[in-house]
Amino acid sequence: MWKKAIDNLIPLFITLLIVILRFTFPNKLSFFTEVAIFSIYVMGNNILYGYIGLVSFGQPFYLGVGGYAVAIFLAYVGHSPIIALFLGILSGVVLGLVLGPSFIRLGSSYFALINAALCAIGVFIFERLLIDITRGNDGLWFRSRMTKLPLLDIRLPQNFFIFVVIIFFFVLLLYRYMDRSTLGTMFRSLKNNEEKLRFIGFDTFKVKWVGFTLASALSTFAGALYAINFGFVNPSLGENTRAVEVIVATLIGGSGTVYGPFFGALTFLGIKDIVSRLITRWELVVGILTIIVLFRFSKGIWGSIQQYIGVLREKLKLLG
Amino acid sequence: MDLSLWIPAVIYGFSVSGIFFLVSLGLSIGFGLMRVVNLEQMLYYTFSAYMTYTMVTLTGMFWLGLMCGVFLAAFLGFLVETQLLRRVYGKPMLFSMVVTFSFFLIGIGAIQYIWGLSPKPVSSPTQLMITIFGTQIPLYRLLIILTAGVVYVMIQLLLQKTILGKAIRAGIENPDNLQGLGININRIFTITFVIASALAGLGGALNAPLVMVGPYMGFDMLLYAFITVILGGLGSIKGTLISSLIIGQVISLGGTLWSPLAFVAPFVVMFLVILIRPTGLYGVKGIV
Repeated sequence: MWKKAIDNLIPLFITLLIVILRFTFPNKLSFFTEVAIFSIYVMGNNILYGYIGLVSFGQPFYLGVGGYAVAIFLAYVGHSPIIALFLGILSGVVLGLVLGPSFIRLGSSYFALINAALCAIGVFIFERLLIDITRGNDGLWFRSRMTKLPLLDIRLPQNFFIFVVIIFFFVLLLYRYMDRSTLGTMFRSLKNNEEKLRFIGFDTFKVKWVGFTLASALSTFAGALYAINFGFVNPSLGENTRAVEVIVATLIGGSGTVYGPFFGALTFLGIKDIVSRLITRWELVVGILTIIVLFRFSKGIWGSIQQYIGVLREKLKLLG
Repeated sequence: MDLSLWIPAVIYGFSVSGIFFLVSLGLSIGFGLMRVVNLEQMLYYTFSAYMTYTMVTLTGMFWLGLMCGVFLAAFLGFLVETQLLRRVYGKPMLFSMVVTFSFFLIGIGAIQYIWGLSPKPVSSPTQLMITIFGTQIPLYRLLIILTAGVVYVMIQLLLQKTILGKAIRAGIENPDNLQGLGININRIFTITFVIASALAGLGGALNAPLVMVGPYMGFDMLLYAFITVILGGLGSIKGTLISSLIIGQVISLGGTLWSPLAFVAPFVVMFLVILIRPTGLYGVKGIV
């Protein structure tokens, strides 16, 4: 019974952890806001990489779409950040539903390559094709057009942090729910043995489609939050050179786990924060980090914790 | 129809195709034979281009630079295959793609460390113009087309006429059976990989005078290589050739019609083909 109670409280603990960390390092506010947003982004990638077993080198594209959905709405149409965020999620759902059927049919290698290609064309569209709307590399600014929410003025960074943490908590709850539901089980079995899942009578195409749509919705949501956080977007949000960052974060946290994305995001951004102060060749470090994690630390942080708890429990059982 | 506009466009298209064919062959064969999508292939392309740049600035001889670039690419390919990729064979596709992609990033970091961030120009070895059908065409473009053609013929000869080539083709069909015949498959892998990386290096050296040599040139080329192999089908040499011909013409003719088309049209063509045939035009069936 205790086990179950603790289990249910983990999302709360994690949310508390990020709040405590924010107050322990008071001048690192923007960093922890980014951790919360990046966690949501990593969760999206985790559905693809950890659950379904597809790797995509084009995740920044979805981030960019979410960001631009928010930016275009706020800069030209409306003033409410909440509607903008909903539009951000909606753009991801539409994208997932539209692109899904053609992408899901592809093999895993084609899937990775076509997403990378999509990402490149995305940058081109944001930067040059729609330059009249997106203002190209200058970026689209909209901070002054945002109105405040009824209870919270999210234009202030400290309030936006609270807002993001609340969102993060609910996303984490939903993510945990997804993990325990039949859908989560189907995702995992898809990775282990797709043929068997089909044999049992599930439509694997639909399962993958749902997974792909969920992943892209989470990514665009993160992109939308990024946009509101910065108050502007430019094409670098969707840059394909950054595609591997989210994959590394997924791996560090522990792919295929519920709480892994948070730890991955925290560790990855922490390393980035420290390293980028010391040296400028960031790609080199990301690459080496990925290879080390892949070969030596494949379970990731949360995976290792889970294993450790499992071993501990066995020992306790033996002791009586 | 203004012929003086379209004939150069077609020839430019062919030269673009030549480069694409050279650089994406490694990606395609690597997949067909080793079941690894080696995304770090473009590293050899970039390193070779930089080597050409260094040799041209030191000695002024482009062809010497090209040879050095190809050798450097082949040597790097040898190192990577024997030291890194050996550990990846047989692992899930997911794993190998992330490994090779991160290795690609490490390489880009190393290039930035050695040669710096700023793009470097490489002067073309010949400024000669040749008149074809009344239009002026740079000789260098024709040389690229010629080189790519020679490479294709030589690869076909290698694959069809020699024992090594037969072993490679058998390996693409079924690696386990090849091993069962007592052929050292690791050796075949290494040889194929070295050839493929040398060709990517050749592509890089040839492309160096046409583009600015910069640390991210591999990234730009990687996307076209992706398009080429996806369209042609992973694992097929014929498919790579045909799709690079198509993509080259699409870029060149599309760009002549309306300049943004040069960038968007190849993607559109690829998406359309993928919608109809998920394994590309000549993809190896049964593996994904």
